[in-house]
Amino acid sequence: MTSPANEVDEIATDEATHHSTGPSTAVVSKSPTRIAMERFRKDKLSMTAFSIVVFFFVAAVLAPILVKTGVLDPFGTNQDLLNEFSLPSGKWGGMSSSHPLGLEPGVGRDALSRVWYGITFSLAMSISATIIAIVLGVVLGIVSGASGGWADTIIGRLIDLTLSFPQTLMLLALSSVLVTFISDKLHVPSGNPSQAVYVVAILGLFGWTGIARLVRGQVLSLREAEFVQAANLMGASRARIYFKEILPNLWAPILVSFTLIMPTFVSAEAALGYLGVSIGPPTPTLGTVLNDSLSYADTDPLYFFVPAVTIMVIVVSFNLLGDGLRDALDPKGNR
Amino acid sequence: MKLRRTFAATAAAALGATILAACGGGGGGTDTNSSGDTESAKGGTLTVLQHFPFESTDPQRIYYGVELSWFRRLLYRGLVAFPMDDSNEVVPDLATDTGTSSEGGKVWSFTLKDGVKWEDGSDITCEDVQYGTSRVFANDLIIGGPNYTLSYLSSLDYPGPYKATAKQQAAFDKAVSCSSDNKTITFHFDKPWADFPLAAASLMMTDPYKKSFDQGDKSKFKVLSNGPYKVEGGTWSKNKGATLVRNDEYDPSTDEPDKLRLALPDTIDYQIDPSDTAGELFNDRLIANAPADQTAITTARVAPSQFPKITGSVEDRYQNPESPYNDYLVPNFNRLKDVNVRQALAAALPLNDYVKALGGDRSATASETIVNPALDFPDNPAFADDADNDGDPDAAKALLEKAGVQTPYPIKLGYSKSPTMDKAMAVIKEGWDKAGFDVTLAPLTDTYYDVISKPDDDYDVTWAGWGADWPSAMTVLPPLFDGRPNISSTTCGNDYGCYDSDAFNKLVDQAAEATDVDEQKSILEDADKQLGEDVAYIPLEITKFNWLYGSKVTGFTTTAASSSYPEIGLIGVQQ
Repeated sequence: MTSPANEVDEIATDEATHHSTGPSTAVVSKSPTRIAMERFRKDKLSMTAFSIVVFFFVAAVLAPILVKTGVLDPFGTNQDLLNEFSLPSGKWGGMSSSHPLGLEPGVGRDALSRVWYGITFSLAMSISATIIAIVLGVVLGIVSGASGGWADTIIGRLIDLTLSFPQTLMLLALSSVLVTFISDKLHVPSGNPSQAVYVVAILGLFGWTGIARLVRGQVLSLREAEFVQAANLMGASRARIYFKEILPNLWAPILVSFTLIMPTFVSAEAALGYLGVSIGPPTPTLGTVLNDSLSYADTDPLYFFVPAVTIMVIVVSFNLLGDGLRDALDPKGNR
Repeated sequence: MKLRRTFAATAAAALGATILAACGGGGGGTDTNSSGDTESAKGGTLTVLQHFPFESTDPQRIYYGVELSWFRRLLYRGLVAFPMDDSNEVVPDLATDTGTSSEGGKVWSFTLKDGVKWEDGSDITCEDVQYGTSRVFANDLIIGGPNYTLSYLSSLDYPGPYKATAKQQAAFDKAVSCSSDNKTITFHFDKPWADFPLAAASLMMTDPYKKSFDQGDKSKFKVLSNGPYKVEGGTWSKNKGATLVRNDEYDPSTDEPDKLRLALPDTIDYQIDPSDTAGELFNDRLIANAPADQTAITTARVAPSQFPKITGSVEDRYQNPESPYNDYLVPNFNRLKDVNVRQALAAALPLNDYVKALGGDRSATASETIVNPALDFPDNPAFADDADNDGDPDAAKALLEKAGVQTPYPIKLGYSKSPTMDKAMAVIKEGWDKAGFDVTLAPLTDTYYDVISKPDDDYDVTWAGWGADWPSAMTVLPPLFDGRPNISSTTCGNDYGCYDSDAFNKLVDQAAEATDVDEQKSILEDADKQLGEDVAYIPLEITKFNWLYGSKVTGFTTTAASSSYPEIGLIGVQQ
């Protein structure tokens, strides 16, 4: 008589040998996720976009560390390297081994450090805003789609209201009032933290509508599905149905939305920085650096191109990544 | 007077400024820059490229420096006017002399010349001057212009001609009275006004205005000229401008054209583009010098980013005078109570680097006082010692130690936001941080001067800009630092740092009582010394103007009388 433990061992060995002898004939079942991943990996364009996005993320995380250790210096001035018009002396906007992307006109701060450090703040703000928008959009979308009735009506009108709001105008007009409110009433440290909270809040609070509509559409078809009805019959609570039954089936559109909303927020932050409603000086963001560089487009073109091209690359690669993800997750989508 | 925003540092000045002064004339400080053809060519069309709209063309509402000095040459003659040079000496214009004063400067009278006429052919009378002066008092309707006359006639309690009761009107007509032949106007002020002719020449608050022409708010852009030109159609278009043509009723024999207005072009064509980028575009056009732009001048200064394009033949069409505007920093006296701390800020200020951040020598000149050199005023001894202007962090540290404060000492620095200012203030931050301060930059976007003049604001230091209304330090030091008229419970007015010193106020009172201009000036020099000892301000820079003009423009000059804008009375075009 053998012990049960030995039996188990035998079975284990048995299985192992089976696998090693006949791998070519076995039919391996793949989860939909895996299929999508494989499809995505095969798409070279999406993979390139993905690596660029990863690169920017790593850069954004590294920047504060490099600034702390003194490798990057976005604040130190080098006015001795400027000519009599306060423009960088030498060719290519003052490019040199210590300033690989040249200098900022007027004060001579290192352009690479300014842009690199700016990426950190721009990405941090746009990602936070995207998360707010996604959470709001998904929750309201599910509630609206799944419950129907008066909740659906109210949320639908709320979306219309949000969309019809003159967002940019209000952003500018109310910025000083609301920033003071944020620092005084919500006890966020005044100055840049409050400005950042304001920009993130505004972008997030006005950016959820598209997502909510998308999710609502998906939920309308999902709520008739058998597993939802089964859960209903078994007396599951609404919260359970919304978030345990329906939500897991929505992650594909959510992921795609994330990668598509995020770049619009990067450019929105740049526009806001241009209008003076973002993190203040001397801290750089992509928007404020770009804003300053605009007037130098023909006298110091390199200084103008660096932030402009950086924003462009970030936005394009996020968009391509989003498109790639959508294609991979939903191959039947007409594109 | 007001400075119109173009870019950079001074951009802020006009935004939200209740009053930004400027000056009509000036001393020997600035050079008269003459250029182009000395031979004056009569005829042709001059094009004016204007990058902002005037808020009004009604003489009693005008406060922009460029508008005051240009319209004085073209449309609105004054009782007296500044000649087209750098002297501070007024010359008679509509009046026969530069005014006679009595009772220690309290009473001033002017007699009008014969044959001076409005564009409709009617004579300019004393009643017109009286009416024009009275309009300024309607400060609910005639808004935006300078109102100094109100404080010199405050005892009247007069609400302006539109609302005055018969009794109030009679009292006003007695204080500003006309002779029986309707030719001589006499002003009876409450207190001495030693430099009244300078004010009358620079500003238009005592210019004539024809009562039958006045439609209150509707006359905001109506122009009834008495100068060598008139507005075609009679109405100025706010966003399009107008074409000025010769005024047939203007008689040069009543004028002194060589001194006051040559009026060379036959027509002057204004083109207004109020968009943000208009200034740079106009100057790009002048650099390119296409045939249509060869007879053009502009109100827009060259942006620092365009300086490298001014080379070769373009440089022959370029002038770079100092402007009548000064910028300065104001310590907040409600927060920085220790004079050592304020002195430390002044000592550590890296002024040369700051000027470089503004765009270098073409944009600004480091200043040793708040009073513009055009006013022929000495440097403030408190700041003149700091001759190198590079900032001295060690001296500042010693002063902070003397004050016994904890370092790093936190400073919140408020300024009016623009990309150039962001950089310039970052330079100041770097200099101050080195000296033991911990500076937070606080850029403000709108209603700048309203915010920084609040007595309970939490800015430790704020940036500000100012230019004299007429060439006297009386229009600089008292309006900016006399706490009595400025400070109330809700605002510190133009005294942004809420500075209130009995010693200074006493000197201001003495200066106001002075009967002649030289005596007044020496008292004000003492007042400025007092401000320096208290560090009531830290001088920054004298803004410099940068002008380009088309290759067929002749006689292009800037003078103190034109507030360092192009002197339009001398400008002609080659045929």
